[in-house]
Amino acid sequence: MSLTSLDPRVTRLNLPEEMPTIEPKPELDQFETYEAFHQKKEGAAHTYVGPVHAPNEDVAFLFAKEQYSRRFPCVGLWIVRTENVMVTPYSGDGENVYDMMRVEEPAERSAQAEAYEIFHLKKRGKAHTHAGRVMATSYQEALQEARTQFGDKGPIVNVWVVKSKHVLQSAEEDKDMWTTIPEKKYREAIAYKVMDKITKYKEEHKTTAP
Amino acid sequence: MYGGGNVFEATKFDDLQTEDPVKLAEFEARIARGEKIEPNDWMPQLYRKQLIRMIEQHAHSEIIGALPEGTWITRAPGFRRKMAQMAKVQDEVGHAQLLYSAAETLGKTREQMLTDLINGKSKYSNVFNYPAFTWADSNIISWLIDAGAIVNQMANAKGSYGPYSRALERICAEEAFHLKYGHDAVVHMATGTPKQREMIQAALNRWWPPIMTFFGPSDKMSTHTETLMRWKVKMASNDECRQQFLDMYVPKIWELGLTVPDPKLKKNMETGQWEYTEPDWDEFKRVINGDGPCNAERLAVRRTAEERGAWVRRALLNPKAKYVRPLA
Amino acid sequence: MNELAIKDLLYKLADDQLILGHRNSEWTGFGPILEEDIAFSSMAQDKIGHSLAFYTLLQELGEADPDTVAFTRNANQFHNSQLVELPNGEYDFSLIRHFLYDNAEIIRFEMLSQSGYEPIAKVATKLKGEVKYHVLHANTWIKNLGTSTEEAILRLQTSLNEAIPYALGMFELSQYEQQLIDAGVYAGEDAVKAEWFKRIQAVIEKTDLKLPDLNTIEPKLGGRYGEHTEHLQPLLDEMAEVFKIDPTAEW
Repeated sequence: MSLTSLDPRVTRLNLPEEMPTIEPKPELDQFETYEAFHQKKEGAAHTYVGPVHAPNEDVAFLFAKEQYSRRFPCVGLWIVRTENVMVTPYSGDGENVYDMMRVEEPAERSAQAEAYEIFHLKKRGKAHTHAGRVMATSYQEALQEARTQFGDKGPIVNVWVVKSKHVLQSAEEDKDMWTTIPEKKYREAIAYKVMDKITKYKEEHKTTAP
Repeated sequence: MYGGGNVFEATKFDDLQTEDPVKLAEFEARIARGEKIEPNDWMPQLYRKQLIRMIEQHAHSEIIGALPEGTWITRAPGFRRKMAQMAKVQDEVGHAQLLYSAAETLGKTREQMLTDLINGKSKYSNVFNYPAFTWADSNIISWLIDAGAIVNQMANAKGSYGPYSRALERICAEEAFHLKYGHDAVVHMATGTPKQREMIQAALNRWWPPIMTFFGPSDKMSTHTETLMRWKVKMASNDECRQQFLDMYVPKIWELGLTVPDPKLKKNMETGQWEYTEPDWDEFKRVINGDGPCNAERLAVRRTAEERGAWVRRALLNPKAKYVRPLA
Repeated sequence: MNELAIKDLLYKLADDQLILGHRNSEWTGFGPILEEDIAFSSMAQDKIGHSLAFYTLLQELGEADPDTVAFTRNANQFHNSQLVELPNGEYDFSLIRHFLYDNAEIIRFEMLSQSGYEPIAKVATKLKGEVKYHVLHANTWIKNLGTSTEEAILRLQTSLNEAIPYALGMFELSQYEQQLIDAGVYAGEDAVKAEWFKRIQAVIEKTDLKLPDLNTIEPKLGGRYGEHTEHLQPLLDEMAEVFKIDPTAEW
């Protein structure tokens, strides 16, 4: 016997009426996490939109594209494995975390300076945005550089530091994947206007609240 | 889509005596200043537990909430509805993803949350244990259940936990589409052919009692509740949400000439409060505890989806990967 | 330009996308992981949107409006390939179908965006970016799963073997084939098929899957001429269940 549902899709799943007990999910059954940053328009800073669970960064890109950029204008997407983001402590709102932080000596340095991406959170509860890129031989040095280059621009409550090589960036030639988004009006509130129908109905029926 | 009604039962973690008084004072001062709490901040155990519980239940309500309207995804009439119904149900899955992520920042893994859901260990919004008999039921859900959810979610978006607020901001923006879409569909039915009108009235009759329980029973005010309100975890009482919902939507139902199946429903002009027949809270409890018309099916579907997708996840599992909580 | 030829092409494009979009939407809420559920739904919506764009062109050529065309015809009036109407099966089959279909679809869109028939060229140019994502999605999944566990590879291989004869049916020649080629509408099905083979082969080669020898396979034809499997009519009945309560009503 399998379950008959009002949903024909469910009926087709041929669910048994009695479900066996289920084993707890093994660790990483949902994969590791990646953080996604989207770019609203040309020239705008990339802004944090949220995480996805994915087995690798290519799949994370596929996932983040639809989870975080299926609505609202978007021209580009960055993906970073969560593990690869170095996070500073948080300061209170209105403060600057760079002023309160003692940057530790790096445990290891690369022989050559390499590029790091710096993300700032300006207010608790808001989203991190890309502040810029610095060259450094360690996360700590990158943070020092970031403080020198962008650290005096108002309150900054938290900083994320990521090696540029750890950022998967959407390609210039892939921008056309987002061009039709503004036209998908069927998933926007603005496409649904019924005042005319309501007004017409009311005129025809002169309804009053009971 | 979540009304928040069944969350704040007393828990065993009420004891604040064990918390560091200096840290607790700093934490409370931060919230009092209107600042958000972020994942790495110190927080009391009670705050963490209640938030995990609330956000997790909200997430479950989204993923299970995709099923009643999903019932009609293959049968939506006409292109306009077909595409919107697909997008609407997709959004619910998307909301679940956002909310599970927010809950994860507090230290519970998505694996654990999903396991607890399919084993019946955690709850979700009770209304989704009711069936969507016709296309009109789906329209009523899209409009009124989402309307109720917005009342609750707008309040919660002003809560103190940063990741939850961020997720809710995105969710509320998408719910605006759900609400308009649902309203549009209901208006088309109500002002359409006699058959359509009959369908939508019947659906409203079926859904009204569950809608009235959507925000949960009146809160029992306790020190526990007061603490959660001071911490901006609970942002509005269940009754406040219900009153706000009635204020906003009953007139919109009436203007379509539809009848709300509660003879006692009226606004008391002196108190400014809506009066209504007290919902059947015994039934509410029975359904929450598993004995509703669709509880078994909802969980069976979720469980089957998990089981039949397991090979995909097994195949792509990177054995060297290390789980790290999402950042924000 | 032969209008019947253009209509035939438009019907086949639109019907394929409607039926596949409908099938893929059946996964919404049941996917193997939340994020994939969302991605798959987006692509299903795109497909329905593409079919609507092509039905709209048909309406401009004097056919009935898109809702009537999509929701009131019977199976024998549909021009989709049989590939898209097959039930979803498990995720391996749906992925393989998505891979085989979208790798052909992108070629059609590339060709049609250069079409001498301007209305089609405009639509194809506009929507090509969406199909590009669909192909990226399909190829990434096949490459990942096709090099993973024995279980996954076996599943994909089985589905591939099952789907291939139907996939070849996508390239069934139209009775107007030569006219469409001569008029510069597009290069025709044989050209699409040759390019498709190169592209899917390039992906399959990077995996542990084996592409069956296409020369030994009997393609499942007939779809383009209204001959369908037993699965299409029930799909259409389901799709139109509410619409047919009152086809003149505004839903």
